[in-house]
Amino acid sequence: MRLIDGFGMDTISLAGPLEAKLEAMRNAGFTQVMLSARDIVGHPGGFDAAVAVVRASGMRATGFQVLRDFEGLSGHLHNYKVDIAKSMLQMCAAVNSKVLLVCSSTSRHATNDLDAIAADLRKLAMLALPLGIKVAYEALSWGRSVNEFTTAWDIVCRADCPNLGIGMDSFHVFASKTELNAIEELDATKIFLVQLSDFMWQEAPTFEERMTTARTFRVFPSEGVHSNELIELVLRLEAIGYAGDYSFEVFNDDYQQLPLPVVAERARKSAQWLAEDVLHRPLPIPTFPA
Amino acid sequence: MTLLADTREAEARRPNPLAMEGIEFIEYATSKPQALGQVLERMGFRPVARHRSREVTLYSQGGMNLIINAHPDDARVSATAGGSPVISAVAFRVRDALKAHTTCLRLGAWDVPSHAQAMELHIPAIHGPGGSRFYFVDRWEEFSIYSIDFMPIPTINPSVPPVAGSSYFGVVQYIGPSRSADWMAYYENLFGFMQIPDEERYGILPKGKLMKSACGQFLWQLIEPDPTMDFMESQEKLQRIGIGTPDVGATVATLKRQGIEFVESEKLHPEDRGALTRTELGSVSFELVHIVA
Repeated sequence: MRLIDGFGMDTISLAGPLEAKLEAMRNAGFTQVMLSARDIVGHPGGFDAAVAVVRASGMRATGFQVLRDFEGLSGHLHNYKVDIAKSMLQMCAAVNSKVLLVCSSTSRHATNDLDAIAADLRKLAMLALPLGIKVAYEALSWGRSVNEFTTAWDIVCRADCPNLGIGMDSFHVFASKTELNAIEELDATKIFLVQLSDFMWQEAPTFEERMTTARTFRVFPSEGVHSNELIELVLRLEAIGYAGDYSFEVFNDDYQQLPLPVVAERARKSAQWLAEDVLHRPLPIPTFPA
Repeated sequence: MTLLADTREAEARRPNPLAMEGIEFIEYATSKPQALGQVLERMGFRPVARHRSREVTLYSQGGMNLIINAHPDDARVSATAGGSPVISAVAFRVRDALKAHTTCLRLGAWDVPSHAQAMELHIPAIHGPGGSRFYFVDRWEEFSIYSIDFMPIPTINPSVPPVAGSSYFGVVQYIGPSRSADWMAYYENLFGFMQIPDEERYGILPKGKLMKSACGQFLWQLIEPDPTMDFMESQEKLQRIGIGTPDVGATVATLKRQGIEFVESEKLHPEDRGALTRTELGSVSFELVHIVA
């Protein structure tokens, strides 16, 4: 048991091959990793080799990302996305990840009928259920109908399925300026994933700005300008009893051209800051050789 | 169009959405069909028919149909269970198999591709827990599905009397830790099963969560692992068959004479409410449950 055990990095924050990413994370003290489908299928040895690398690393999968633009479609588009979802679920199960991250739809072909969206997510949850996978539905701040966690929560409640919950991403919460006191309305046991990151701008008012910042210039918690909100976010989550994982969803073009240990060390400092200074997690009990 | 859509919605919310009418058959997959067949015969089943193109045998007892599937592709699943037989499928009787199958797919079930050969029945199926399958059969009233895919075994009377009025009572499914809510949602959503209050219990193993089929003809028991034991996710499976009998004592006595042994410990032993057979072949056991005749 280490102080930063509840925190993990995302593979998307690092450049290079999967093996090197996992090694850098492990050397920095992390025991879990948020996996991206791209890292698995893009492995030079192929899918099976990538799965073997993940399993051999001994790191636990925080979750598997990401299924996009799934909900609200009809006819052939819906059928197509169900096929994609099934493949994602099979990959998710192969890497022994218990959580599949699903981002709210940005498609203009998707309906904004929240009950129809809920029915689609319930179907996805049913597909995930025999595989032992939970579906974390996350509001992208540029999502077409669902762009705040409060709406994502509304849909999860409508769908009412035990393995369907929400995923929260601090970037999207801050970008869409959702009131943090709305966290009190959530059921902590139905928050299946919390992704943390910060960014350098005070505001990201347009969808375009949110997209560009989200994809190129996020930073680790404590490195950006929303530390106070980030502290409030995690403290509010802890206050309602959230006991799940925190993963650092940091897309950053600069980090993509730095040595992996340098980036992983920044992540470790961030996790240390959250565990010690923000959450005051108790120090693990030291173990002595017998 | 509106009227049609509304009708479909209304049907989906009916108490028995698939118009289920009980269990048509339960299937074991195994690479040791003779050994399992001997266990079934001691349990009162008789082999009555063989599949025309596959190594599959139908056993029967009263209204209970039990299939041993030793077809190499299907029996492979038992290899992962250390060679022990596994309950690989349950077939439900429904009013309209295609409609039941389509409804389940619409709600998020995984389809099972059919491997029917020429002139054989294509029985639609979805994936169940742990690699098992759920079939939907609608031809059980006017004629039997076995008369098409199976050949009767000569000299065997296909009408096998049940031991002391036995019939299928239900299925016991082992599930992962904290998975009760998930699996209850699965059976409620897809099949319209209903949870039975925790106070209402049958037999001598009153563990886990109990659900009743939408037709009310059988029960489904979901059992989480003992928290003190290690559990691997892959161990989620259909574990054993429950057989209902109006006279547990008489059934136990008959089966004992036929060579079936029962669990007889201080805590668990045959009594009026039920009994549990000793596990054979590493995985096969039956639970007797008292039912009102």
